[in-house]
Amino acid sequence: MAANHKDKDFTELKHDAVPGYKPVFGVVLAAAVLYLAYIFLSH
Amino acid sequence: MSSGLLIPPFMFFMLGGIIAGFLKGSLRNALLIAIPVLSLINLAMIPHGVYLEYEFLGHQLALFRVDKLSLVFGYAFHIVSIAVLVYGMHVKSNKEFIIGLIYAGGGLGAVFAYDLITLYVFWEIMTVASTFIIWRKDSMEAVGAGFRYFIFHLVGGLALLIGIILYITATGNVAFEHMGWTNLATGLIMIGFGVNAAWPFVHTWLVDSYPKASFLGTVMLSVFTTKTAIYTLARGFAGEETLIVIGAVMTAFPIFYAVLENDLRKVLSYSLINQLGFMVVGIGVGSQMAINAAVGQAFVHIMFKSLLFMGMGAVLHQTGKIKATELGGLYKYMPFTTVFTIVGSMTISAFPLFSAFVTKSMILSSVATEGFMVVWLVLLFASAGVLDHSGIKIPFFAFFGHDSGLKPKEAPLNMLIGMGFLAFLNIFLGIFPGYLFQILPYEVTYNAYTADHTIFQLQLLLFSILAFTLLLRSGLYPAEIRSINLDFDFFYRKGYKVFVWLVDNILIRFMDFGKALFFSYIPKTLKMLTRNPVGLLLLIVPDTRFKGLREKMAKSEDGYVDGLVEYWSIGLSAFVICFFLLFYLLFFLVNKLI
Repeated sequence: MAANHKDKDFTELKHDAVPGYKPVFGVVLAAAVLYLAYIFLSH
Repeated sequence: MSSGLLIPPFMFFMLGGIIAGFLKGSLRNALLIAIPVLSLINLAMIPHGVYLEYEFLGHQLALFRVDKLSLVFGYAFHIVSIAVLVYGMHVKSNKEFIIGLIYAGGGLGAVFAYDLITLYVFWEIMTVASTFIIWRKDSMEAVGAGFRYFIFHLVGGLALLIGIILYITATGNVAFEHMGWTNLATGLIMIGFGVNAAWPFVHTWLVDSYPKASFLGTVMLSVFTTKTAIYTLARGFAGEETLIVIGAVMTAFPIFYAVLENDLRKVLSYSLINQLGFMVVGIGVGSQMAINAAVGQAFVHIMFKSLLFMGMGAVLHQTGKIKATELGGLYKYMPFTTVFTIVGSMTISAFPLFSAFVTKSMILSSVATEGFMVVWLVLLFASAGVLDHSGIKIPFFAFFGHDSGLKPKEAPLNMLIGMGFLAFLNIFLGIFPGYLFQILPYEVTYNAYTADHTIFQLQLLLFSILAFTLLLRSGLYPAEIRSINLDFDFFYRKGYKVFVWLVDNILIRFMDFGKALFFSYIPKTLKMLTRNPVGLLLLIVPDTRFKGLREKMAKSEDGYVDGLVEYWSIGLSAFVICFFLLFYLLFFLVNKLI
């Protein structure tokens, strides 16, 4: 995580993306949705 | 009923608080510790029963009822009072302790009150004392928040008072027992309790005022008002299914605000509402297991929420800052505070071996057992949300995250002892929940440490941590921004402006018109008409009537008939009085006959 502290008053603390994590997030989210769908459909 | 020479806990706290106001240094600190310790020992020795009866307006009241339900809250209030008083012991001013002990006494008086009238008196003592705790911060923000807090609680207290009066009038019963929502009276009583329990739409007083009190005041406030409300709901409205819906909403909606919020004490305030929601759901379910779960959750919540507020209070005390944008990297300088806050975070997140794991599992199980599956899913979502905003966000942004450049000293020893004591209790009750089960209202046969419970909870927690990590690393986690998040108080503020406009533009004009009508036009007209009532009478009746009078009037020089003005005025007044008395008598007789 990289903090944005250019502003002296620290009005905003952004969470900049680390390269490579967005695809991982997408894969995990897709897997979670499929898993939930499987659970709901199988009960 | 039986009575004896027993000292109710509120007397220890209120009298002790007043005496502490005259002491200084070690003597004051010794008394501050002695008050809750002696009161707790005294309480533990008193058998169940109703004590200290008195009569008021023909009703038999009692100051002190000891039973299993009141004892759970009584024990929790005493234990946390010890920790809070140690935590704040280095504060030199006595004022906060005097007000704080009176506030705690109000809370204890309310949970041990036998009847509704005694309960109401202590309820209002709590309101007044807690308002002064907010004002102790001595800032314009705190003054404003204190007034708003006071208005909310006055309205809630008024609903409670009207409900109590209607209830006693209708039933003749003053005892505070299970009543359920059956009519207007009990509905008003429930709303009165609901305001203090921070129900949705009236919750704004909590997130508005708690973060604006002093580092010690916020810890005090987080204990008594809301938990007393939970006690009253558990005693008066257990099994009221409306509470399940209200509680479910309370668990879910604060999560979104807590994720966005920058002020970490405000995050904890939203989290407090979320946790109260779990308790309200348990009370609404109303089974023996659910009541045990809700009351047990209240007990442990008092411990871990105070610990979290203490942790953030220590950060505020040492750095003067509490916003996520201004904090970070403090673990190097405040290691003990970091560890204790993490214990509080793990407890609120319901990690196995921490106290809330047991009680939250009981609530979820009782909801599932009674077949409220949608509510169960909402509670699961809320449990994952708790981990995000209180389990991770609080310690992450305060102690880790980025390097804020702050290099504070570790919190004073007494603050660490207070936090350490509560951290120990949270772990102890998580490992040995049997000690908690012993004091719950009903017999407990529940075992949270089964393989399926533990694995289920760990799954929930670990996937929530994974979600937080991936959101943060992907840059999708919302930025911490110094801003004011719009909550439902937006409508109160706008509503207030509309009200002021209505007063300025319509009500004032209407009042001016009324003033002119009743104080000018009508009196002038009446004066004119009564100046010569005989002349008026002769003007409005046909010329053929009252010939004698007309002749006398014609003979008089000034248009007045001698003597008749006085007679007519007195006679008319007597007639009007007799008419009203007769009307009243008829009304009375008809009312009697019906």
